[in-house]
Amino acid sequence: MNLESFLLMRHEIMLTIALLIILIAELSTENKRSIINLSIILMLITTIVGFFPVPEGTLFGGMYQTSHMTVLMKNILNIGTLILFLQVAEWIKKPEYENKVSEFYLLILSTLIGMNFMISSGHFLMFYIGLELATIPIAALAAYDRAKNISAEAGIKLILSSALSSGIMLYGLSVLYGTIGSLYFPEMSIAFMNTPLHTLGFIFFFAGMGFKISLVPFHLWTADVYEGAPINVSSYLSVISKGAAVFILTIVLYTVFHSIAPMWKNLLYVMAILTMTIGNLFALRQKNLKRFLAFSSIAQAGFILLGIIDGSVMGMASVLYFVLIYIFTNLGAFGVVSAISVATGKENMDDYNGLYKTNPNLSLLMMLSLFSLAGIPPVAGFFGKFFLFASAANSGYYWLVFIAVINATISLYYYLLIVKAMFINNSENPIAYFKSGLTTRIGLLMCMVGIFAIGLYSPLYEFIRMFSIGM
Amino acid sequence: MSIHELMFYLFSGMILLFSVLTVTSRRILRAAVYLLFVLVSTAGIYFMLNYQFLAAVQLTLYAGGIVVLIIFSILLTSHISQKFEPLGVKKMVFSALAVAAGALLSIMTILDFGFDTVVTTSQNPDMELIGTSLLSYEKNGYVLPFEVISVLLLAAMVASIVIAKKEKSK
Repeated sequence: MNLESFLLMRHEIMLTIALLIILIAELSTENKRSIINLSIILMLITTIVGFFPVPEGTLFGGMYQTSHMTVLMKNILNIGTLILFLQVAEWIKKPEYENKVSEFYLLILSTLIGMNFMISSGHFLMFYIGLELATIPIAALAAYDRAKNISAEAGIKLILSSALSSGIMLYGLSVLYGTIGSLYFPEMSIAFMNTPLHTLGFIFFFAGMGFKISLVPFHLWTADVYEGAPINVSSYLSVISKGAAVFILTIVLYTVFHSIAPMWKNLLYVMAILTMTIGNLFALRQKNLKRFLAFSSIAQAGFILLGIIDGSVMGMASVLYFVLIYIFTNLGAFGVVSAISVATGKENMDDYNGLYKTNPNLSLLMMLSLFSLAGIPPVAGFFGKFFLFASAANSGYYWLVFIAVINATISLYYYLLIVKAMFINNSENPIAYFKSGLTTRIGLLMCMVGIFAIGLYSPLYEFIRMFSIGM
Repeated sequence: MSIHELMFYLFSGMILLFSVLTVTSRRILRAAVYLLFVLVSTAGIYFMLNYQFLAAVQLTLYAGGIVVLIIFSILLTSHISQKFEPLGVKKMVFSALAVAAGALLSIMTILDFGFDTVVTTSQNPDMELIGTSLLSYEKNGYVLPFEVISVLLLAAMVASIVIAKKEKSK
């Protein structure tokens, strides 16, 4: 191993350097608000450096592996985090957070480091450490608004449910380790047999992942945590965290557990139907926008399973493509809710009545995001869903696609409810006109560009497909 | 029954008993003490397997350090005399059923697997081997997880600061 091989780990190294710089800046400056801009600049540099091409390879005797596909995944997560940093800037300037500004950035960056290591892991120990590094700090972030009971409750709920799910997952992994004798991905995939005990270990592992992605029936923590946590933390949880967990689940299913593919395909089949349907049905009756977006993100996770179930290159590509679109779309929706909440403190659906008359730009972005979540043609969300459905149909899951289409139609109804509130409903006292700060506007603009550009620029899908792997 | 088997059943029995007591006890300080017994008995099992290093870590870190920390935080935050509310009968029955079903399923599957009885020469990893493999970057070396855990610890410290930090006095 020589010095150049560290270049393979440039995502993790850049993020760690950024983390250390913020840590030192926190110690050496009195003006904590300057850290906000510093973090945005560091994240921008990290995102750009991530795009430089570097060869594939493994390090540390196979414990760390990188390919063009994992680099792409990390870049997607970096872009999402950059947008989040832009959107967060205004919220975190509030006086009550004045003495814990840099902690927010430190924690977000450390979770991102964890996700990157998790995606690049070639060994279940690395995978697990990455997963914990990606989860524990978020629990503290969920309790960031500590003065509010609901936020502290969200933190407790998140840490308890993730501890439980980690325990279940570790039990499954220990069963596999006890019978196989190795935790390296390649060795495990060879030694993995279709015996009941291995299947049991796999199911425990899968249940743990189900918690992280909030698949039904492991979704119960989602709505409470999203509602209690600060909006920007919820959006990080629903977009970046979930995206990273989906990525690693897909990689592990395709590489380590491919010998029991028929079994996990059945599992995914049932869970996809449950997740889509229950997520949708509960989203129908929400009045609080954060709870609403929580259930909508559960339903979206169900759609993602349609891509994973395919097991081919196309399936992997459609999952990556969908998550990329989902990041822009959901950050757009959460960004609008956050901007309005920062300016006025309102988070209920009724408060949005007549928003178009007072704040047309925000309403427009919200409408586009909701259209994209629902999958209406001109915007990117349609193509994302289209490729997911196509890859599932490709392997003959026609009934599953049929149910997914019904669910997409139901979701259209509740997404349009908000559009109706903003554009058609009248209100005695609508939210007054306000102008967000520059960073928020840049962040929202990036979402809007993403929602349009990804849908219209078709070579992107081919590009993603080139790097994807199948079983 | 050899003395070895007897010790094994003794330790396992203690682990089982005290684990159940830990989660059912209605006084939080007692639960912490029961947890201490669980951790000590686990160290006993490690000793039986000849994993002296692991057993020492278990005793010093878990039984010695972490339980003391837990007890400290209990003493600092809650009232010792406070009792948790008893669980409802319905909750108890259903959770017992769920636990029993899960345990039964796992045990049946594990018994069903048919492990080969392998006679291995007792591997007693000496300290030198543990030290070098913690710093090795070849296969079966653990320097990368070792370093990433340091980031995890840093993040955990920052996280606890976020939760514990006092609001600025106005």
